[in-house]
Amino acid sequence: MKKNVSRKQFLQQMALLSGGAAWGMGSISGKAYAQVPASMASMVAGAEQGKALVIIQLSGGNDGLNTVIPAEDDQYFVKRPDIGIKKDAALPLKNGMYLNPAMTGIKKLYDQGKVSVLQNIGYANPDRSHFRATDIWNTGSDAKTVWDEGWAGRYLSIKYPQYPMNLPKHPMAIQLGSVESLLFQSDLGRFGTVFEDPNLFYQLVNGSTADSDLPPATLAGEELGFLKQIATTSIQYSKVIQECAAKGKINLTYPSTNLARQLQIVSKLISGGIETPIFLTTIGGFDTHANQLTQHANLWKTISEAVAAFQSDLENMNLADSVSVVTFSEFGRRVNQNGTLGTDHGTAAPMFVIGKTVRGGLIGENPNLKILDANGDLKYNYDYRQVYSTIIRDHLGVDAVKTQQIFNQAFERLPIYQNSPDQLPEFTSLELVTSVPNPVIDFALIQYSVFEKMQIKLAVYDLQGQEIQQIYQGNREPGSYQITADLARISAGFYIISLSGPNGQRQSRRMIKQ
Amino acid sequence: MSHLLSRSLFGFSKSDLTMALGYSTFADFLDKTLLKDSALPAAPNTWVTAVPAQSQQDDGSAGRWYTEMTSWWYSRMVNEGLNMREKMVLFFHNHFANERSKVVYPQNMYVQNQLFRKYAFGNFKQLVKDVSKDPAMLIYLDGNNSRGAGPNENYARELMELFTMGIGNYTETDIKQSAKVLSGYQVSGLTATFVASRWYTEATVTVFGKTAKFDINTLIDHIFDQKATAQFICRKLYQEFVYYKPDEVFVTKMAEVFRANNFEMKPLLKFLFTSDEFYKTEIIGSKIKSPTELLVGSAKLLQVKTPDLNNFYELARTLQMQLFQPPNVAGWPGQREWISSTTYSYRGGFTDSLLTGKRYNGVAVTSKLDPIPFARTFTTSEKANEFVDEIVGLALRFPLSDTRRKFLLDTLLDGTIVANYNTFTANTDARVNKFLKALMRLPEYQLC
Repeated sequence: MKKNVSRKQFLQQMALLSGGAAWGMGSISGKAYAQVPASMASMVAGAEQGKALVIIQLSGGNDGLNTVIPAEDDQYFVKRPDIGIKKDAALPLKNGMYLNPAMTGIKKLYDQGKVSVLQNIGYANPDRSHFRATDIWNTGSDAKTVWDEGWAGRYLSIKYPQYPMNLPKHPMAIQLGSVESLLFQSDLGRFGTVFEDPNLFYQLVNGSTADSDLPPATLAGEELGFLKQIATTSIQYSKVIQECAAKGKINLTYPSTNLARQLQIVSKLISGGIETPIFLTTIGGFDTHANQLTQHANLWKTISEAVAAFQSDLENMNLADSVSVVTFSEFGRRVNQNGTLGTDHGTAAPMFVIGKTVRGGLIGENPNLKILDANGDLKYNYDYRQVYSTIIRDHLGVDAVKTQQIFNQAFERLPIYQNSPDQLPEFTSLELVTSVPNPVIDFALIQYSVFEKMQIKLAVYDLQGQEIQQIYQGNREPGSYQITADLARISAGFYIISLSGPNGQRQSRRMIKQ
Repeated sequence: MSHLLSRSLFGFSKSDLTMALGYSTFADFLDKTLLKDSALPAAPNTWVTAVPAQSQQDDGSAGRWYTEMTSWWYSRMVNEGLNMREKMVLFFHNHFANERSKVVYPQNMYVQNQLFRKYAFGNFKQLVKDVSKDPAMLIYLDGNNSRGAGPNENYARELMELFTMGIGNYTETDIKQSAKVLSGYQVSGLTATFVASRWYTEATVTVFGKTAKFDINTLIDHIFDQKATAQFICRKLYQEFVYYKPDEVFVTKMAEVFRANNFEMKPLLKFLFTSDEFYKTEIIGSKIKSPTELLVGSAKLLQVKTPDLNNFYELARTLQMQLFQPPNVAGWPGQREWISSTTYSYRGGFTDSLLTGKRYNGVAVTSKLDPIPFARTFTTSEKANEFVDEIVGLALRFPLSDTRRKFLLDTLLDGTIVANYNTFTANTDARVNKFLKALMRLPEYQLC
């Protein structure tokens, strides 16, 4: 996904950048856009206005099975005799799934239809290294591809095509913290403005200097160019952030946790009129290899309380329609507990999308604790980029073509938002494509695909589910197949052609016999 | 020489440079000072041998001791002179990154810190063996209480991924099998004990295709027999000391030297510091200083002998490099990851404090520069143009543009003219201060 911006172009952009801002000792810039009316600045910023996404990153690998708990599944207690959470203690959702007892705030929002719980989110050939897995989630790549740009960085480069020639009036992305995430990085530069406190940030930047000299075209010159770019954006944005924070309202008391403080700043900035579309907040401590029960519950208590406060704050200010919260973690954890009352690195896990515009409810099948991969880890049902693609399209309002550009691939959306498409795509390890002709007189050509090696059965059933004629049964390697079936002997009427696998996978198509 | 000093040390003063140039041969400089072995320093205090106890947390002792140990280490760095050992200790602390928040007791962390000092120029393979049984490491990566029957995979994974081989050179099965081999340890107080009954009972395990009844030492020997291992650590050294994007051809040469010398650090460092690769023009000034290099290096540059170490402690946290508290087991990633809109701004706040005597929040610092005596340690002190050139040459590895140089000269002159400038006229102390402040606020100053 490298954008081939040559070094020369980059330097030209740097020059423009420095020309537009007032660089120098002790000065705060903002001149470039200070005279531009807000409506024009909006035009510069792009068409989709007013929506904001707040990402909560759970660092360390969240144990999904103790977050959204299959507390009616005996396998869960077989594999977690000491750290399994019983259903009497947990908060019921539906379909035999329960929330961790510490998540009362999120449960309340769930009951109001404001939480979409997405089950078994992951990707193929999952990585179990914290660092590589975090990079995968941040860049939006598959396991085998290494990208050096964040998916949000690519989204922002579409939203702000002038960057870095021109800096929009408001920060393009805000991260509460100190070390900028890969999420906001791109080949064009860094989209994120990173700070912990709006006032302190303003105070510190006051006195930073940057000049308009072009850095020399050397390796060291590239590093200097990078430093200058950071200096310039800091100078540009510290003032608008401080102003929005000053204008923002404080409506309720947040819990006194670090995450709640981060979300409170986000809320304050949004209510103060900031136009930033993406915010990143972080909570760490999820790498629960040992004695995890209390620690894990406390982490979710923190998140649950912080999110509940944030949501009610936004609702009080009538801003809830434009803001959506999503959680992610680099991986879930092993199904089996380990010998130290914790869990080791695993794979698929649930994600939460929270807000007033979501459909709410539990999306996707429950985790299958019997059919695990070779490491004893969960298989994923939906790719994490399906979640991100849905958010980008249905919440941030980006069209299908641009969304596809971001991930270099189209992903089927999930029914997360009220305006998301209805159909829940099935977990496809097989697919029955067509049978032609339909209606059929004698011979039907049936096409189907198998995505993993398995034993399959293809047969014709009547509408009562009685098997009328078997067409094929046997092992199939992954691939697409076609078979011609002689259906001359069956009587006229309505039938179902069905392709099934060994674990209940099934796809069916209607067929009419003349 | 300035390039070598700025990379192998935390920074250097004018007298450090003069002394380094005084050695008759470069080999002498390496053997007799830069890479010279010396006895371990005395402990910061007697608490280092106190048996860890909950009460030390409850009454706040553990926290105070951590602060004390951090100051002790900063003192070692500020007074490193021309010896590279403390830089290597920090390299290993970053490589085998353990967090105080999980290790809890500073006594354990102190033992580990001295272990890094012991092996700073020593045998890396032996260091990996020792660190695998180090109480702080056992606590941090859950080797403590890991049993052969249901082993905790945490240490096995990071041993391969981060400490020796790098991702992609082992399978999930290798991790699972190695976790059994690494089990059996229990930490009690300051010691780790191997309990055979807690070890794995299988007759053999298979790791990287070899089947044997491995123990912790033979497993690590086996890891070091894998080609990826020397390559991996040499790549990391290259990224730390040469350039953050590794040159694989040169890294391979380093790995050959490392293997030929049975994983001894000293011959490898000598090879690196005498190679043409290390002195390539294009990499000079390409490293973004770590916060520790910024803090300690600035004090060394300005010859502030007893800097306010509480200021160091606070600022290092803000700049995202609190010693004994790396962000996670992968350590500090370095280079551009040091810099965000926030940390960049705080860096300027720190260098200001050495000159103004006040932190960004107004709190006084205990030790600041006395500008006139400092200026007079330079023979050029009475000639503004030459003085600017000399200080710039000392402080910056990055070539300064003519406009920036003129800006610095104008800042020093502050309205007066070159002919009238000297350190005996009124307000020259303020001028020198302003000049140094501006110099250290240049983005170029963040590079070394």
